Amino acid sequence: MLEMRHAGKVYPGGAVALEDINVHIKPGEFVFLVGPSGAGKSTFIRMISREIEPTSGQILVDGVDVMKLKRGDIPYLRRQLGIVFQDFRLLNDRTAYENVAFAMQVIEAPSYKIRKRVNEVLELVGLKDRGNNYPGEMSGGEQQRIAIARAIVNDPLLVIADEPTGNLDPETSKEIMEIFTQINSHGTTIIMATHDKTMVDYMQKRVIALENGRIVRDDRKGVYGYEV
Amino acid sequence: MKFSTKWYYIKETFTSLKRNSLMSIASISTVALSILVLGMFLTMVLNVNNLASHLENQVQVTIYMDDSASQEQLKQMEKVLRSTEGIVKVTPRTKEEALGEFKKRLGEQQKLLAALGEDNPFPASFEIQVDQPERIPQLVAQVQQMPGVETAKFGQEVVERLFQLTRVLRLGGILLIVLLAIATLFIISNTIRITVFARRREVNIMKYVGATDWFIRWPFLLEGMLMGFVGAVIASVILFQGYNAIQAKIYGTLAFFPMLPSWPTMGYLSAGLICVGTLIGALGSSISLRKFLDV
Repeated sequence: MLEMRHAGKVYPGGAVALEDINVHIKPGEFVFLVGPSGAGKSTFIRMISREIEPTSGQILVDGVDVMKLKRGDIPYLRRQLGIVFQDFRLLNDRTAYENVAFAMQVIEAPSYKIRKRVNEVLELVGLKDRGNNYPGEMSGGEQQRIAIARAIVNDPLLVIADEPTGNLDPETSKEIMEIFTQINSHGTTIIMATHDKTMVDYMQKRVIALENGRIVRDDRKGVYGYEV
Repeated sequence: MKFSTKWYYIKETFTSLKRNSLMSIASISTVALSILVLGMFLTMVLNVNNLASHLENQVQVTIYMDDSASQEQLKQMEKVLRSTEGIVKVTPRTKEEALGEFKKRLGEQQKLLAALGEDNPFPASFEIQVDQPERIPQLVAQVQQMPGVETAKFGQEVVERLFQLTRVLRLGGILLIVLLAIATLFIISNTIRITVFARRREVNIMKYVGATDWFIRWPFLLEGMLMGFVGAVIASVILFQGYNAIQAKIYGTLAFFPMLPSWPTMGYLSAGLICVGTLIGALGSSISLRKFLDV
C-alpha cells in the first residue's frame, strides 16, 4: 500500500527533516507514527500526499512512484487518500453536510450518489442529525468527525491523519479513535501521526518511532515508548 | 466535462458572489469606476482626434494662375494636378466663374462692379484638397515651380501650428490611454486578488481532497469575468448617458464643435470596454489564483 525506499528530505537551507526512511505498510494496516516534535512526523505524512517532495529515495503509493507523477496527476493521487488534520480544516461558511459533499463534488460525482454517500458517512461518524449545522455551532470533537467523514467519503485506499486528536480532550479523543478503528475494520489503511501516548499504548497497533529524522523503532504491536 | 460539473461551476459562482457579497460589490464598483475613467478619457481622446481631423481636412490650397497663362497651360495644369499622388480633389475655376462668384457675394451692391468696366481682375484658379494635410507645404513648393502659376496659398503658418497641435494632442491621448489601461488592469486584478485571498483556505482544502487545478479555477474565472462584465456594463451605461447629455448641451451652445455621434461611436466603445472588463476580470482572477494553486 505504502512503501518508502531510502526516502529523505532536506529542506532548502540544509535542515535535514528525514533521512533514509524505509517503510512498508500493507493494505488494511493501522500504523501510529510517534516521536518528539520536530522528529519528522509531519514531513513523513505530507510526503505521502506529495505536498512535500522528498529530496532522495522513492515513495510508492499503491505501487505508483509519487515523484514520477506530473503536476496534473497529483489530484488523482490525493483522491486515493483521505487526509485528516489537527485543525480540522472545515469551511466555516458551509454546513456539515456541504463540507462532506464538497469532497465528492470535487471529483465530479453525480448528485444522487453524493446524497446517498454523504448521509452514509455522516451516520458512520455519528452525526446523522447534525448535517445542517455549521462548524461554528459544533464542538471540536464533532468538527473532527465531520473532517473524518470528508476524508473517507470517497472510499480512499489510505487515510493519513496528522495529530487528529491534538486539539481534543481525552474523552473525545477516545471517541475519535473508535471511529478510526471502525474505518480500519472495513479494510482502509490508516497512518496516524500522534503525541497521544495513552491512546497508542491502549490500541496495540504497529508503531513507527521517528527521532531526528530517522526511524528508531518499528514494532508490530507497539507502545508509545516515550515519557511524555 | 459532466453536466453536473458545469452546473456546479455556475451555482458555485453565484453562491460565492452571494456569500462574499460585500466583497463582490466592492470589486464590481472598483471595476466600474476604473472602466468609467478609462472610458471617459477614451471618449475625450476620440473626440479631440476627430476635431483634429476635421480641422485638418478643412485646409485647402488655392493655386492662382497668371493672367498670361494660355488655355493650353490651364488644361495641362489640371491634368498634372489630377495625376499627382496625394491630391484627392481638384476644382478648377475660370476667370469668368471667379467673377460670377464675386458678383453673387456682392449681392445688392452690384453697382460696384461698374467700376471694373470690361476688365476681369480675377485670375483663374484651382482649389485642391489632399489626402494627407501634412503634405501640403511640399506640394505647394512643387506647384509653384510649374509654368503659368502666379502663386499658391494655404495659410502656411496657421496650418503648421495646427498640425503641431494635433500631433501633440494625439500622442498625448494615446499615452494617456495606455497608462490608464495599465492602471485599470492593476486595480482590477488587485481587487480580485483580495477576493481570491479571502478564499485561499477553500482553495487549499480543494487541493487536499483532490480537485484538479481547472476544477478550482473555473468558478473563480467565471466570478472574475462576471464581476468585470457587470462593472463594465455599469460604466458603459453611465458613459453613454453622460455623453448624450454633454452632446445635447454642446449642440445648444457650441454648435460648430464637431462631436462624434453617440451612435455608433459610443456603441463600439461600450462593446470594447465590456470586452476589456470581462477579459481583465478573467485575467485578474487567474493571475491571483496561480499562487494558491501551488500546494
